[in-house]
Amino acid sequence: MKGYSLVLIAGLGGLMVHAQTNTPGAPPAPRDPMLIHSDSWDFDLNGHQAIYSRHVRVDDPQMKLTCEQLVADMPPAGGRPNHIVAETNVVIDFMDTKGQTNHATGDKAVYTYQEQGGVTNVTVTLTGDPQPQVVNAQGLQAGDVIIWSRENTNSHIRFIGNYHMVSYQKPGEVMTDTNSPVTVAKTNVPPETVENTNTNTH
Amino acid sequence: MNAKANTTRITLIAGIALLFAAIPSGRTQLNGPQHASDFTSTEYYEPPHQQKIKSIMSGAEALPQPGGRLIIKQLKLETFNLDGKLELTVMAPECIYDTLKGVANSPGHLQVRTGDGKILTAGDGFLWRQSDQRLTISNNVCSVIENGATMNTKP
Repeated sequence: MKGYSLVLIAGLGGLMVHAQTNTPGAPPAPRDPMLIHSDSWDFDLNGHQAIYSRHVRVDDPQMKLTCEQLVADMPPAGGRPNHIVAETNVVIDFMDTKGQTNHATGDKAVYTYQEQGGVTNVTVTLTGDPQPQVVNAQGLQAGDVIIWSRENTNSHIRFIGNYHMVSYQKPGEVMTDTNSPVTVAKTNVPPETVENTNTNTH
Repeated sequence: MNAKANTTRITLIAGIALLFAAIPSGRTQLNGPQHASDFTSTEYYEPPHQQKIKSIMSGAEALPQPGGRLIIKQLKLETFNLDGKLELTVMAPECIYDTLKGVANSPGHLQVRTGDGKILTAGDGFLWRQSDQRLTISNNVCSVIENGATMNTKP
């Protein structure tokens, strides 16, 4: 009811887009509002939890997400939301630091937010079956678990378990197909880094 | 139904009853024993915060129906936290409130806005269950987050 979950989604969008175009010290550039559509919405005032169900669609200027259910928790004391779960056919389209579109899919995405000692930690974890994957112009990367994490301005992506990569020479042309535990995507510009941890997480 | 819900329900019923008795402010107009207009009903927190307002419900009309139900037109519900800050404003053109079951519903439109006005959720068809403090919107849900809402959600 409080609609706090919307803020969680906003946080998710903020994680996905690392490129900052604002001049330090300058006021943030105006953004279009974020929209969330769904067939139904259930809010628990006591539990501070909102549930968007069926045909959930998040439209943000820098990120789009679709899923079948989205559950958001709000700290009882107020403040920034700290946990959101998107489930069933999760699709996230976002832009990276280079302005490149990425298409991520998974069965479940969990967003968490923590702030401690002036350090902000944000993660988005994709899991589920079929195996989560990220596709962009360079290729496809997949793993049992895909984790975007950000600590203040530094962020990176990890692929954990059964890593799989397909690189494209150019859009639509497959160049390599490997399951080897190679380090990938070092072409991403700092501060975002990508690493492959080809280990099981179970 | 738990004691909290009963308290809430009784508060509302009492509020409506007061309206019928023409005790509230001069805004109340009686068109008959079963019709009140421009009513307001205030709910307080349970002890030890019984002096603090939990919610204020108001409406343009309250039309009692058989079975303890009320048709409320131009419903406006405002909820407050213990600090007295506005948390939410809920508005609906019309709904049916069952004073016995403590539920309100309508096939019509519902709009929910956070206290800071930056987050708005709306949809069609809703059910409010007072006993467990749950609100469901069943169709065409759309939430709008204004710029800047990501930084602070405390009302």
